[in-house]
Amino acid sequence: MNNPDEMPARIAAFLAEQEPEWRDIEVVAYEVMTGGYSRLLGKAHVRHAEGEEVLVLRGDPPPGRALVDTDRGQEFEVITTVSEHGVRTPRTRYFDDAGLHLGTRALVIEYTASDSFLPYATGGGSLEGLNIKLADALASYHRLPLSSLPARLERPADWNTYIGHRIDEWRRTADAHVEDLPILRYVAAWLDAHRPPEVPLTLIHGDLQSANLMLAADGHFEILDWELASIGDPREDIGYFKAVAQIAPPDLLDDAGVMGFCERYRELTGLDEAQVNPVTVAYFLILGVVGTVRRLLEGGAAYSRDENTLLASLFNLNSVVFGSGVWIGASKQLEPILAAMKGAM
Amino acid sequence: MLSKPTSDQMLIGIARDLREQVLPHLTDQPAVVVMGMIDQILRNLSVRVANEIEWMHEEVAAIAAMAGRDPGSPQSLQLQHVVEWYGSVSRWLSAGVEAAYAGGDQAEIDKWRALIEARSAHEQAIMGSLDLVGRG
Repeated sequence: MNNPDEMPARIAAFLAEQEPEWRDIEVVAYEVMTGGYSRLLGKAHVRHAEGEEVLVLRGDPPPGRALVDTDRGQEFEVITTVSEHGVRTPRTRYFDDAGLHLGTRALVIEYTASDSFLPYATGGGSLEGLNIKLADALASYHRLPLSSLPARLERPADWNTYIGHRIDEWRRTADAHVEDLPILRYVAAWLDAHRPPEVPLTLIHGDLQSANLMLAADGHFEILDWELASIGDPREDIGYFKAVAQIAPPDLLDDAGVMGFCERYRELTGLDEAQVNPVTVAYFLILGVVGTVRRLLEGGAAYSRDENTLLASLFNLNSVVFGSGVWIGASKQLEPILAAMKGAM
Repeated sequence: MLSKPTSDQMLIGIARDLREQVLPHLTDQPAVVVMGMIDQILRNLSVRVANEIEWMHEEVAAIAAMAGRDPGSPQSLQLQHVVEWYGSVSRWLSAGVEAAYAGGDQAEIDKWRALIEARSAHEQAIMGSLDLVGRG
C-alpha cells in the first residue's frame, strides 16, 4: 500500500471485481497518507463511467512492522454496524479479507471531506460548544444496545469483573515487562482503592482522541479508526480522550468544558451524576489508557529483547513517560476529593 | 579513551544536524515523521546518558532507606550491572507501594508515593517536551 506506482492498478482490479457494473475504472490519483502509527493508509481518487469516488484504504503493515495487532475483519464489522446505527463515521465500502488484491488485508472506507480536528484546533479554529458535540459523539455509540454489536466482540460477565480485570491489566503489564515498573503498580493500587460507581457496559472506541475526530461542516464530530473497539466501561473513552488531550491539546474536557460535557452526556445516556462527573472523568483519565500503555510497553520490551527494531517502539515510550506524570499528579489531586465524597455518602 | 566531546554533546549535535540539515530536504511524509522521532529520541538519549548512572544510584539510596534494607553495590559501574542492581531494588519500591495501599495508612502511602514521584521526575527530565509527530 505504500507503493504509489503499483497501487492504482491493484485498486482498479479490486474495484472491477467488487463493482462489476462500473465501466472504465481508472485510479487517477493515489497517495500514501500519514495520521496513524498502526496501519497503512492510502487515499485513492477513482473515476469510472458512472461517476467518481474518493476512497481510503486501511491495511495491515507487513509482518513484524505492526505496532499493535488488531483484526481488520472486526474493525470492518464494527464500522459497518455503528454507521448503520447512525453514528457519524466514514462508511465501509469493501473488505479485501485475504489481501490478495490490495497487497495486504485491508478495508476500504469512504473518504470524508470534513476537517481533521487536531489541525483545525491547533490552527486556531473555534472550540466553542465542542465539548457538547463531543458528548453527542460519544453517546451516539455508547447508547447502542449490546445485542446490535458484532458477535465477535467479547462480552464481559459484569462490570465488577470487568473493571477488576482492567485494573489488573496494569499489574499484568508490569509483570510482563523487561524490568520492574513501580509506577504501574502504584497506579493499579490507587485505582483499586478508589473504584467508581458501576455503569452498564457498552461499546467503547478504545482510541477516542482528537487525532481520530473529524469536524463536519455542520459542527458535528465524525469518528475514525475503530480498530481498538471493544465492550467496556464507556467512561474509559471519556478519560482516554482527556488523557491524550494532555499530550495533544485541545482538552475539550478542561475546567471550562467538563461540567457541560458531563451534563449533556448524562442527558443522552441516562447515567446519573454519581456515575459521570469531573472526578470520574479524572479517574478514567488514568484507567482508560491502560490498553494503550500495555501495547506501548510491549513494543518497548520487544525492542529490548531484540524482537523488533521499530523506531516507533522507542519513540512511543515517551507517551508512557508523559502519562506517568499525569497519572501520578491526578491521583494525588483526586485522593482528598474522593475521601471527602466517601465520607459524605 | 577520548572523553570529550562527551556522549551527550555528540548526541545532541547529531540531532541538531539531522533537524537542520536533513529534515528540510525531506518531502516524503512518512520519512519526515521518522526524522521527527529520531530527533526526539536523540535528545532524550543525550540527557539520559549524561545522568542515568547517577540517578539510578540516587533512587536506590532513597528506596533502600525507606525499605530499611541494604542495597549493596552494583557489580561494577558498567551500565548493564547498574541497571540490574537498580532493577532488583526497584522491586522493593513496588512491594512497598502495594503494601502501603493494602494497609491503608495514608502517611505510609504518601512516603512511598514520594519515591514514585522522584522516579517520574527523572523520567520527565529525560523526555523533555513531547511532540507527537505525525499524528492528526
